[in-house]
Amino acid sequence: MLGKLLKHEFKQTARYVSLIYISAAVTTLVMFIAMLTKATAISVIGSSVLAFAGFLSVVFTVVLVIGNFYNTLYTNRGYLSFTLPVKCSSLLISKVLVSLVWFVISFVVCGLIYFVIYLNVKSQVDGEQMGGVVDTIRESGLLEMLPSGKMIAKAVVIIVFYIFISILTFVSFVYFSLSLSNTRPLQQHPWMFGFLIFCGSYIVTNTISAWLNEHLPLCIALTEDNLKIAFSQAQNIDALYSIGLGGMVFMTLAAVGMLFATGWIMEHKVNIK
Amino acid sequence: MSSNKIINVSELKKSYGSKKVLKGVTFSAQSGQIIGLLGPNGCGKTTLIKILTGLIKDYDGVARIDNEEPGAYTKSIIAYLPEKSYLPDWMRPADAIEYFADFYKDFDRQKAEKMLLRFGLDLKQKLKTMSKGQQEKLRLALVLCRRAKLYILDEPLGGVDPAARSHILDLIMENHEKDSTILISTHLISDVEYIFDRVLMINNGQVVIDSHVNELREKGRTVEEVFKEVFSYAW
Repeated sequence: MLGKLLKHEFKQTARYVSLIYISAAVTTLVMFIAMLTKATAISVIGSSVLAFAGFLSVVFTVVLVIGNFYNTLYTNRGYLSFTLPVKCSSLLISKVLVSLVWFVISFVVCGLIYFVIYLNVKSQVDGEQMGGVVDTIRESGLLEMLPSGKMIAKAVVIIVFYIFISILTFVSFVYFSLSLSNTRPLQQHPWMFGFLIFCGSYIVTNTISAWLNEHLPLCIALTEDNLKIAFSQAQNIDALYSIGLGGMVFMTLAAVGMLFATGWIMEHKVNIK
Repeated sequence: MSSNKIINVSELKKSYGSKKVLKGVTFSAQSGQIIGLLGPNGCGKTTLIKILTGLIKDYDGVARIDNEEPGAYTKSIIAYLPEKSYLPDWMRPADAIEYFADFYKDFDRQKAEKMLLRFGLDLKQKLKTMSKGQQEKLRLALVLCRRAKLYILDEPLGGVDPAARSHILDLIMENHEKDSTILISTHLISDVEYIFDRVLMINNGQVVIDSHVNELREKGRTVEEVFKEVFSYAW
């Protein structure tokens, strides 16, 4: 049944998200044509539109994730969702997976959009000017400070994982807040209570996470020739870059805990009006 | 517990805060019966239905559907028509049919398509462009095209004009599975009572009358007359 839940979850969310991606794709196409035909004005307008579309794709995904969860479970449509012959945990898993996929896609699209803008800007600036920028960077010695390509690739993997955990945490906290605010005592003002619960729990856990990152002797350190886990506080290690792991582990556990709590609330406490 | 009892409810209690909505409801239903669930507003009918359909889980007492606690299995054998409109307005009848066919093994897709065509509904028309009556026909068709063991219909005639009521009741009688049970909650007793085998009247969270309709008729009374007598304070 999870496959069918995913199918219908994608189907109903894709309708909204696809609009922004289609508009971004059309704008990109227009920009490329403008670049080829040297139509500078169109190209500049296209860049602005694309930059806005990139930002909008992420914002739109946030709105979609929140709105879709609320609308399909806690409005009249909940009568359809909660009477399907599936466990509440399956409903929740399908929504989490689809949300994660849309977030990843929105970040990728956003990245691609800004890459296209970069290409566009590069085509506007003549080679001499670009060469001057590169020379300035080279003279500053920044390039020599960079670790090897292999190390950068490892660091990128960690950063991507970190972003993924951050998205999972965000989604789980949103779902928990909306579910708790749709229990009987709070459902008179679900959005207000949902917002307050989200802000409260998110601020508290992020504060704990930041404290653990700073004080727990566990970190990832990026040196010129190595990327290692070290049992030391991030600020006390000699490395190009180091980041505390305690907070990330805590946030991962908090996200999983929130999802279990959400599943339990959906199963036992939710009251559809 | 007899195996042909599709519903078995015992000492069912439910409170919302300090307000007791169900105060020990007990009844059972055999397969093949058509039961009217009657009572004034706020008497606990909807809460009882929500418990039976698995929408409310935190209650005291026993609720069994086909000998199982409300859950994924019972949801697979109950065809539930809520009072509220629950389909998203972007959906088309074709989407709704696909949705039901995907999730309910007992859903008869061909029967649904035929029924909707008989209703004059376009399978490609979006719900938001349909009239309220057309949307109700669609929801009713989706429920009746399941070969369910238990049909729970909450106010199926609520938004339907008087002329269409008997047509819809005929439709329910023609299309439900013959050995299935139908639980109908309604305010429109005089329109519906001729199809009931049995009535359950709930007042103040308790079953006050649980009787076969024939027993009432033998005493020369209609269900509506009994209802008015029992709930005279509510008028």
